[in-house]
Amino acid sequence: MKIAYYPGCVAQASGKELDMATRWVCRNLGIELVEFPNFSCCGSGFVDEANEVLNIAINARNLAIAERAGLDVLTICSTCQGMLTLAKVRMKDPVVRARVDGALRPLGIEYKGTADVKHLLRVLTEDIGLATVKSKVRRPLSGMKVGAFYGCHLLRPADEMQSESAEEPHAFEDLLSTVGATPVDYRGRVMCCGFPIQFVKPSTASGIAGRQILDAKAHGADAMATPCPLCHLSLDAYQNKAAKEVHASLDMPIFHLPQVVGLAMGASPEELGLSRHLVPTDAAIAKVHPSAPA
Amino acid sequence: MAAETISAPFDIYRFRPGIDTKPRYQRYTLDLTPHTPVLTALLKIRAEVDPSLSLRYSCRSAICGSCAMQINSKSRLACETHIGPEVERHGRIVVEPMRNQPVVRDLVVNQSPFWREYDKIEPHLKLDPRHPMPEGKATAMTPAQVDRFKETPRCIACAACYSACPAVEADPGFPGPMALAKLYRFVVDPRDSATQERLTRIQPNGLWLCLRCHLCTEACPKDVRPSERIRDLKEMAVSVQGATELGSRHAVGFKENLKGAGQLNEMKLVRQTMGLTGMIGQIPQGIKVWRKKPEIMKRPRPIEGLDEVEKIYEALDTSSKEPE
Repeated sequence: MKIAYYPGCVAQASGKELDMATRWVCRNLGIELVEFPNFSCCGSGFVDEANEVLNIAINARNLAIAERAGLDVLTICSTCQGMLTLAKVRMKDPVVRARVDGALRPLGIEYKGTADVKHLLRVLTEDIGLATVKSKVRRPLSGMKVGAFYGCHLLRPADEMQSESAEEPHAFEDLLSTVGATPVDYRGRVMCCGFPIQFVKPSTASGIAGRQILDAKAHGADAMATPCPLCHLSLDAYQNKAAKEVHASLDMPIFHLPQVVGLAMGASPEELGLSRHLVPTDAAIAKVHPSAPA
Repeated sequence: MAAETISAPFDIYRFRPGIDTKPRYQRYTLDLTPHTPVLTALLKIRAEVDPSLSLRYSCRSAICGSCAMQINSKSRLACETHIGPEVERHGRIVVEPMRNQPVVRDLVVNQSPFWREYDKIEPHLKLDPRHPMPEGKATAMTPAQVDRFKETPRCIACAACYSACPAVEADPGFPGPMALAKLYRFVVDPRDSATQERLTRIQPNGLWLCLRCHLCTEACPKDVRPSERIRDLKEMAVSVQGATELGSRHAVGFKENLKGAGQLNEMKLVRQTMGLTGMIGQIPQGIKVWRKKPEIMKRPRPIEGLDEVEKIYEALDTSSKEPE
């Protein structure tokens, strides 16, 4: 399949390993990523707080770029997924639509609302299908217990995200099982990572991240995996701060979603950028049964 | 014809503070039809099996808001949660008291923290004494003005949102979704004279601690959508007060940042939010991250078509949205 690749800011900068893993997995599955150097940042939820209509217009412009090429959009970040989808939903309001169209039309940009916005999780589970993913698995991750961590904006608000059930999602767990890992059920999987207030009140933000990691750990997780690079920053890059806030040692490896899939499909740790994590992932990978059938 | 019953295992939180050393979960298994509400099952347990089970309820019709509790980790009303789907998804029904409020006994919590935050926002009209309403017209509003309340008047104060909120859990100083949704209702009320004061007073350690995780909107049994009204309050707060708080500085800083290259400049955003002095405190963590992810220092390359983004800003980022 062919899709417009919307990597988002973080995967092009500090979260480069997410971009690397996405490209590896998509190449392996025959997903052609079409790149658009004119995509802008989605506003990450912050621009939405400062000026809602501006945020919608910026994302309507992004969507129009994919529409012109006749492609759906692939996101690899829960927040990008949320912001682009929210723009589509808000553009159904005639008052909003008129203001945004008024800003876009003089630039020769026409927003139609025809492009679908799909996170990699959905592309893998629905478009490619779990059977095809399974057929590419070379090194099943059996023995590794993984707590899926969805990221708020992939799920909520459920009626607007048109996501699967926000309270009881299972697509990520289904994917983890498909690549041989054992998904861990814990309350924190649908909770918040704390990232949005990391600059407003770091102690509270890290306390929230720490609680989710502790929860996953209490339920036996060897690692956590997330479809959102902002969650990854909060859970991995700031994990030392989270540990301090919850007064516990955490040592929880945090994977990006395509890294888990890539590992199972036989990618090397280098190809997936695993050395770029703050918390080493070796202990989790060591849990994989070496005798697991190829 | 009677509906078929299913065997429903309940694990119910039991705790008597001051008597029990720690909480325990008690298992009761009942044969019930799948459409039985959890509340009905709890009352049956209390009537037929264990009269010592404590819970709070009243109307049994999702109107009074008394029976909010955690059912399989989700904060919801027991009277409108049916057992069938819960047993199907989880194999059992774990019933616990709401979070973020101290347990009085079993499923009953002390709601004082929730009501304290509600009182703090002064949930009553502050009419402008210089503009008294004409006799008998004190409540007159146009339908369009009433529409601005959006869904907020539907709130039944059940506290499910307060129980579900991770910001409340980690920071008891946060007012919580219900109080903020109620604040919104008074801020947009055309008869209220304290709009600016309300928006100013809520900002430190209040408004900007909302994570916009939307867990409140998901938990709300009346679709009040608190997270969306909190977003509205943030935009109104920026328009009346500018970027004076860390939270508003971050939101406005991000908006300005995006205009620069069309892509986020991570380092610049830290400076925009925290200022140069605030950045100093970030240096030790920054170095740790930079060692593994040197790109945090890199300036992004401007996107193609940046002029389009600039023009969109020119068109839509001029008029600040004043609360009416």
